[in-house]
Amino acid sequence: MVKEQINPTIDKILANIEKVMIGKRDVAELSLVALLAGGHVLLEDVPGVGKTMMVRALAKSVNASFRRIQFTPDLLPSDVTGVSIYNPSEMEFQFRPGPLMGNIILADEINRTSPKTQSALLEGMEEASVTIDGVTHKLQKPFFVMATQNPIEYEGTYPLPEAQLDRFLLKMKMGYPDLHEEMEVLNRAQRIPPIEDLYPVIDLDGLRILQEEIKDVYVDDTIKRYIVDIVNRTRGHESVYLGASPRGSIALMKAAQAYAFIYDRDYVVPDDIQYLATFVLPHRIILKSEAKFEGISAEEVISRIVARVPVPVQRFVK
Amino acid sequence: MNKRDFPTMLLYVLGFLLLWEWLRPVEQLTETDNIEVFVLFLLVSLAMSYLKIKWIWQFIIKILFILFFIHRFYYEASFFQLNWLTSFSNDFIYNMGLMFARNWNDLSYEFRTFLLFILLWLMMYLIQYWLLRQQQIFIFFFMTLIYITVLDTFTLYDAKFAIVRTVAAGFTVMGMLTFYRIINREKVKSSPAFMKKWMIPLTGMIGFSVLVGVVSPKAAPFWPDPVPYLKAAKEGAGNSLGNGPSRIGYGTNDERLGGPFIGDNNPVFMAEASGKNYWKVETKDVYTGKGWTPYGSTPFDFQEGELVPFYSIPDTVETTKETATIYPVHTKEPLIVYPAGLQRIINIEPNYEAGFRQLRMDTTNEKIESFQTVEYKLDFVIPKYKIEDLRKTTDFNSNGINRAFYKNYTRVPENLPKRIKQLTEEITAGKSSWFDKAKAVEAYFGRSEYSYDQKNVALPGPGDDYVDQFLFETKRGYCDNFSTSMAVMLRTIGIPTRWVKGFTGGDFLKYSQDNNMRIYKITNNNAHSWVEVFLPNQGWTPFEPTRGFTNDIRINYGSNEATSNEQPAVPASVQKPQDKPLDEPKQTTSEKKMFDFTLFWLKTKIFFKTNWVWIALTIGGLAALITILYRTRGKWLPYILLLSYRFKQKDETINTAYLTLLHQLDRYGLKRKENQTLRNYAQYVDQFFSTREMTRLTKCYEEYLYHQHLPKGSWLETRKLWENLIKRTIA
Repeated sequence: MVKEQINPTIDKILANIEKVMIGKRDVAELSLVALLAGGHVLLEDVPGVGKTMMVRALAKSVNASFRRIQFTPDLLPSDVTGVSIYNPSEMEFQFRPGPLMGNIILADEINRTSPKTQSALLEGMEEASVTIDGVTHKLQKPFFVMATQNPIEYEGTYPLPEAQLDRFLLKMKMGYPDLHEEMEVLNRAQRIPPIEDLYPVIDLDGLRILQEEIKDVYVDDTIKRYIVDIVNRTRGHESVYLGASPRGSIALMKAAQAYAFIYDRDYVVPDDIQYLATFVLPHRIILKSEAKFEGISAEEVISRIVARVPVPVQRFVK
Repeated sequence: MNKRDFPTMLLYVLGFLLLWEWLRPVEQLTETDNIEVFVLFLLVSLAMSYLKIKWIWQFIIKILFILFFIHRFYYEASFFQLNWLTSFSNDFIYNMGLMFARNWNDLSYEFRTFLLFILLWLMMYLIQYWLLRQQQIFIFFFMTLIYITVLDTFTLYDAKFAIVRTVAAGFTVMGMLTFYRIINREKVKSSPAFMKKWMIPLTGMIGFSVLVGVVSPKAAPFWPDPVPYLKAAKEGAGNSLGNGPSRIGYGTNDERLGGPFIGDNNPVFMAEASGKNYWKVETKDVYTGKGWTPYGSTPFDFQEGELVPFYSIPDTVETTKETATIYPVHTKEPLIVYPAGLQRIINIEPNYEAGFRQLRMDTTNEKIESFQTVEYKLDFVIPKYKIEDLRKTTDFNSNGINRAFYKNYTRVPENLPKRIKQLTEEITAGKSSWFDKAKAVEAYFGRSEYSYDQKNVALPGPGDDYVDQFLFETKRGYCDNFSTSMAVMLRTIGIPTRWVKGFTGGDFLKYSQDNNMRIYKITNNNAHSWVEVFLPNQGWTPFEPTRGFTNDIRINYGSNEATSNEQPAVPASVQKPQDKPLDEPKQTTSEKKMFDFTLFWLKTKIFFKTNWVWIALTIGGLAALITILYRTRGKWLPYILLLSYRFKQKDETINTAYLTLLHQLDRYGLKRKENQTLRNYAQYVDQFFSTREMTRLTKCYEEYLYHQHLPKGSWLETRKLWENLIKRTIA
């Protein structure tokens, strides 16, 4: 990738996050992509690599309310969305909002809870509203969920069905820090965690404005064609049982717009698509069992597809 | 892809054409009649399959079709009086038994017909499977080609057009199937526009290559024709003479001459002689309008060592004695070959009775027969004519020639076209002696409008005269055409002639052991025919009208100067004349004036044939020039590009300019992978040249390409970058 100039506001946010997170700039960047594009992120990683820290830093940087839901098997949907409680003094039911009523939510170990509770969360993510006792409550805007999933333990978990994975704009891994990074982590751990020292870069209104600006990032027909070409190939690939849906194409385009914005561009280039495809598409396809047995991962399939689709270098002629 | 659209129909049609190629030779080569019924069966079945009629109906219709035609061919009573079915089923069961007992020859005709239907059914299933399911037809196409070529080689089937048809149809099918395979593999939605884009170049390429293949001259096979060899291997010392009408070689039946010949390089005999000689086998006397038949048969027995009962060369002619030894390849062959002027046949091996071998000669045809000879020696004389003696005869004179004899050898068919005689009179006008007239006719065939050809030789139709057709229409042919024409032409003006068959001198092989003699190999390709003219007091004098062949007689031109003008006795005869540059056949007749496709085709062919060296050289030269220019394009192309873009002012120029630059960089060796993005590639290029120019230019192009944003004057700003980069691509 050619290093490009980063949007100044975004640069400040990233710098803020980097104060508490060592390395992992790409994860921070991608989280911002999801946040700016109005999508959500699924992090698939083991505990202890700093997921919470990153989300909190992000929340802090945009001055958003941060909530965390630790998913357990006995968690009920109302624990997530909130519940109406009878208030004897007012003689009526009063809605007590649940943790979903925040701006930035960390849904930890989402696959540990029952599908019922999962779907309550996912419905909120998709509709940006929850309906409790017949009353629809709009969720706050911006609304950003970062869900985590532990890929190691399968016992007693309820894996998210593919249809629901689709709700996440990006799926990524955090990964361990490298040697120097981890030493730096230790250095900082000797002192007080610096998260309390973070100051917000922008407020929620500023974030909303940014989100609106992203919609104006120009996507040329050549790029749209390129996106469709890539998504189309997932539908006929030999290792793929079910390809990406048009929702996948939309997601790829929106993510690319946000990514272009981060890099202070008002148009999308194929590089954005190539980079983001491996985060946007893999959780939207279902591999054939043969492929799984051969040890091919969805990310690999997407990389191969991207490697086969020619990059448009000429004007698209209809 | 199992649709009912036009391309699928095209596939079906082409599949049908390929299958049809399998049926075509069957009619010609086997006893199978009514082949059109089987073709109809193919058509009906493929049509039903294309229309996607339910399988059960297809099955019933096919079965009914088969039964109906079996009934039509083999049974008398009405189709609906179903008792013929009992008979058929009995036959069927009986034949099944035969089949399992492998008594193939006893199978009844109706059962064979039935089996052929079933075979076609199976083949159709396969075709459909290959075309629509597998989308690969190569194996079938290849097998079809092999089938046709094998038949062409080993049978009378002429696959000239079958090959063209098969190649065209086969390659079209393969091209279409490749298209579908790519569509399937790449998961692209196919659209008629794609199909058009694919089919037009495909059709063009196939059409062009077929045309070039048909028109271009083809080399003769490098290997000898395998058929006679195989036949010989099969039959031992089989009868190589008379190998069927279209094979060169010595045949005894000349009633119907004409048609093309195929070469045959199998040896017939070896001759040990002092020089090259024409070898006679027999003569024929009666011209029928289509060929030659013997006048009669007068067998005469004589003994080894006796004077051969010929009309020998008169004493007035000076002669030199010669001997030759013949070693026939096929010992069962009864015919004796001999040179003109044969005196005696001696030393016939093997000598069974330890005495003199009995020989039989047909004195009318001058055909000598013996049996199972391995070797025989011939005593003969070579005449040396005096020119004034030859020229002595100017008219028929009953003192010199027996009247009946004269009548015999000047006889022509009553319905012989008159123009032959007119032509002969024109040719011989001004000549008085028979000899000079004969020479004039002989020389007439040397004119360029006549050409030697073994392949494109017409077979006279029922109303055609063989000589007339050759002289006035086709004007191309081989020895039979030339010799028969000359013999008949001379007869029309009252000069006695006869038609001689035999062999030319063959190829010199080596010197014999005592080095005095030469050994020649005579093959079937040397089979030949020529003319003898009877000159009173001189005997039968040979003439050679065939283009490219010589068999000059020794003539003493000065009355007493013995050898000054002597022609070489037996000059090396040119065996296979190279295709001489052919002039266009002159079409004088007025009805040919309108556009005639055949004529056009012929002209094209002739044009290619005559000029193929120049065409090949020009094409080769052009190709070399283009190759050189192409190989050195790195040196000159960038300059041209720089020049051509220098004066462009429009900002949109960056579009073509950048793409051109990509091409040039690619040519330079900096290849951009298909999946490589422009900025990635630009970085790579900049790293290579240690600049930042490509990245800057690319940024501008990206703005244009992905943003539709082109600031005014941007090309003028970036042109410098572009020019620098183009300069770097100069090799």
